[in-house]
Amino acid sequence: MSRYAVNSLLYRLKKDPAFRATFLTDPAAALAGADLSADERAAFIDRDMRRINELGGYLHLVMSIPGLAAH
Amino acid sequence: MGKIVFAGAMSHVLDPDYYDKACGALGRTTVTECMAQIAQMGERFSATGADALIVVADDHLNAFSFNAVPAMCVRIGRTVQRMVQDHAEAFDKVLDHMPETYPLHEALANEILGQGMQAGFDLAMSWEAPVDHAFLSPVNVMHGSRPIPPLVPIWINCFVAPQPTARRCFALGRHIARVVAGSPWKVGLIATGGLSHFPGLSVPRVGETDTVFDRRLIHWMERAEHEPLQALTADELDKSGEHEFLNWMVLLGAVTPARADVRYFGELPRINMAAVEWRLA
Repeated sequence: MSRYAVNSLLYRLKKDPAFRATFLTDPAAALAGADLSADERAAFIDRDMRRINELGGYLHLVMSIPGLAAH
Repeated sequence: MGKIVFAGAMSHVLDPDYYDKACGALGRTTVTECMAQIAQMGERFSATGADALIVVADDHLNAFSFNAVPAMCVRIGRTVQRMVQDHAEAFDKVLDHMPETYPLHEALANEILGQGMQAGFDLAMSWEAPVDHAFLSPVNVMHGSRPIPPLVPIWINCFVAPQPTARRCFALGRHIARVVAGSPWKVGLIATGGLSHFPGLSVPRVGETDTVFDRRLIHWMERAEHEPLQALTADELDKSGEHEFLNWMVLLGAVTPARADVRYFGELPRINMAAVEWRLA
């Protein structure tokens, strides 16, 4: 698990609308260069914010990414 | 000689629509009652004619990316901007209606920083970090349509482990009190966040609170028993959802041995809301 990789990706999804749009269109391609474990990558591709939180994603990020937020 | 002329602490998501959506009618009623008390606190603060308002709060991973996460950071410069978030969700949305720019008390911020270096507080500084609801919800509810005095925002890292200790936050408050006492200014101080919510920072536990722990904190604050508060551990704060109490610890250090008066405490499934004011000599 990489706390940095998961959370820096969450942060970019929240703060960078163009990257977020790319991710929503083709998540696998958007994550191609990310230093994620297989579990982490799968969770992002599934847009499973609860799983991302279990894997170390900070709560306030997984609750507040536009269009992806866990509730 | 300067003086802390007002000290208060309060919850910082202050939006009836947010709590209506999260908790239903009880949520709307509870936050509305809490906001009314905070507005009255603001009237008392404004009556002091303070030169500055120090706001101790936390970043919700908005101002600081994972490039750097300061344990304690003072906002310097002449103005600070409200955080802007496109298509804001959840707590970010409460910022939408607020003014965009706020004046800063540059001289007080620089004294806290500069004297800190001499006193063993190597505080981080930022000229650019924006402020989110943790700062602006309480400030705007306190002031309504009245002018907001120059602010000194101070961030405490409440969420990204390892956080500063409760004892260290209290010591920062002592430092702030010394700086203010040696200054020519009348200063207000608020700490925001809490009380218990989001234990473990875990999505499945959103909706849980620890009211027993909250009551314990309040008991100690009302009696000015500040030693057991300084002994609180990161693990205790995490398990009880009291992460943001670190902000309150800074205030407690600044006003000790003052006693607290609870202006409001209300339980919700999502968070226990509070507004507290200290009796200053």
